[in-house]
Amino acid sequence: MGGLIWIISAVVTGCLSIYCWTDLRAVNPKWARLLLIAGAGAAAGIGLTSCIFFLAGPLLKIPAAAPVLELAILAWAGYQSLRLRSQPEPSPQARSHLSLLLIAGLVVIVGVGIAAFSTAWDLNPQGNWDAWAIWNLRARFLASGSELAARAWSPALGASTHAEYPLLLSSFVARCWYLSQSSSSAVPAATAFVFFLSLIAVVTGGVTVLRGPALGLLAGLALAATPSLLREVPAQYADVPLACYMAAALILVLIDRPLLAGIFAAFAAWTKDEGVLFLVVFLAAIAIVRRNALRTAVAGALPVLLLNAGFKLFLARGNSSLLSASLPGAVHRIFDPSRFATVLSAFGREFVHMSIGWYHPILPLIVLAVALGPDWNKHRREIFLCAAVFLGLLLGDFGVYLVTSNDLAWQLQTSLNRILLQLWPLLVLVVLLCLRTTVEFAAAPSPAAPRARKATKKKR
Amino acid sequence: MRYPARITAGLLIAALLCVWGAFQSYAFESEYQRQNPDPFQISAAFRRLDPVRAAVPDRADMGYLTDVEPGSGMETAMFLAAQYVLAPRLLERNLEHAWILGNFTRPADFAALGKSKSLSLERDFGAGVVLFRREK
Repeated sequence: MGGLIWIISAVVTGCLSIYCWTDLRAVNPKWARLLLIAGAGAAAGIGLTSCIFFLAGPLLKIPAAAPVLELAILAWAGYQSLRLRSQPEPSPQARSHLSLLLIAGLVVIVGVGIAAFSTAWDLNPQGNWDAWAIWNLRARFLASGSELAARAWSPALGASTHAEYPLLLSSFVARCWYLSQSSSSAVPAATAFVFFLSLIAVVTGGVTVLRGPALGLLAGLALAATPSLLREVPAQYADVPLACYMAAALILVLIDRPLLAGIFAAFAAWTKDEGVLFLVVFLAAIAIVRRNALRTAVAGALPVLLLNAGFKLFLARGNSSLLSASLPGAVHRIFDPSRFATVLSAFGREFVHMSIGWYHPILPLIVLAVALGPDWNKHRREIFLCAAVFLGLLLGDFGVYLVTSNDLAWQLQTSLNRILLQLWPLLVLVVLLCLRTTVEFAAAPSPAAPRARKATKKKR
Repeated sequence: MRYPARITAGLLIAALLCVWGAFQSYAFESEYQRQNPDPFQISAAFRRLDPVRAAVPDRADMGYLTDVEPGSGMETAMFLAAQYVLAPRLLERNLEHAWILGNFTRPADFAALGKSKSLSLERDFGAGVVLFRREK
């Protein structure tokens, strides 16, 4: 129970910080703003407190300083929030029956998800293999609060523990265990659940701001009902947190918050090595599409990026990474057509296997595309930014499979489903950004209007 | 806000598909979890190895001895589960440290086995868990 209180404290610190020190509180409508602040705040709170604990504990050897600093931030953010609260709020807009139905659907799906998770939490409380062999194992070292914490990146752990992996998730779990003086399995399980809720909240709130309430809620519905997402949350791996940080970074840059977007992109890099690829692709896409936001995004990313670089270059340098181990013979493997075919077919097969029974998470997106129709002219830059990041990551991940020196079949079998899960929220974003918004149809005087508009376009 | 029937129908069908998918996932995942409770026996590893945690100091580096075929999936799972339970103690697959964890699947004469490798039996905790000390 003590560990859960420290999770709540991190979430509250993050939410209050986002509320009072960013201009997300200017976003409308109000419920989308609340979702964005809650979702981004929870993920930011976990990232921030994880970094503070890592710096104070394993690095500076004064772990007791971490809660003091956190409580100072919490108190300051709480005070600022109280002052801001007295400012007048614009009157809330009336919600349509359709929105209320979609909200009900989202509540049902999240409820169903919780029911599925609770079965897993009861029967498999330690999560799946990587949870106890990598992420939570390293958290147990970090939670020792002494020089033993350095064992979390010791080469003596062996290749299967991947001591070179970044430490956001492990460090956060360790923080809660250290501060509660327990190592309850409820902490990593609850952390995974918070990231699930954050992902849904950020995507729902973000798409609502970008494309209106109907598409926002449907984005949340489509995501929350994704079978592989519901499977991976109780697994307690770092893929759901990574997906959350990547989706949040993309949404934040789309709603013109490049500083926060940079911070979230750096959190992604500090969560998993795939996040480093995301950070590079993300900044490159911003440099092309939103050049004026690049400097701010880099400034946001820099502190956590330096932490990650310091960890990789100085602390974990005795461990070889997947890429460095794959360099010998990489050229030969890249140009091996049989590997290309194997990876390509595995991507296709794994995408099909994202289904459960007759349900595939692409189905609701296809239905929406048919019902609303495409519109990629009005928001071309936003669509290009999202699509560039998605395709860049897809190509990058594809390339990693081509060059890996590990057994290819094993590598694909044990990781590709999670790679697709990381990319899935970005694909949902790309698809929904390409569609016409429901607001355009509501403004039309009759159902014939869209067809008439199309005819006008053709004439032009 | 009112939408044309085609749009309303499309949005509702998409939403219903999502709800259906969530229920499908729930049914599948719940059944899967019931059929595979704790597949790597991590909770059991905590029960088996708890006495070792009490007997060996936190900062110890420990060696590891087992009767399971090296490099097999079962050996990897047993070793990593033991490492997880015993952390922050560091476990290595060798016999070079003062403390050696014996993690066995079958009963045997552990004292004789240890002696053949210059190890003395410190304690036999049962369930295949044995603590050895390296003989000086």
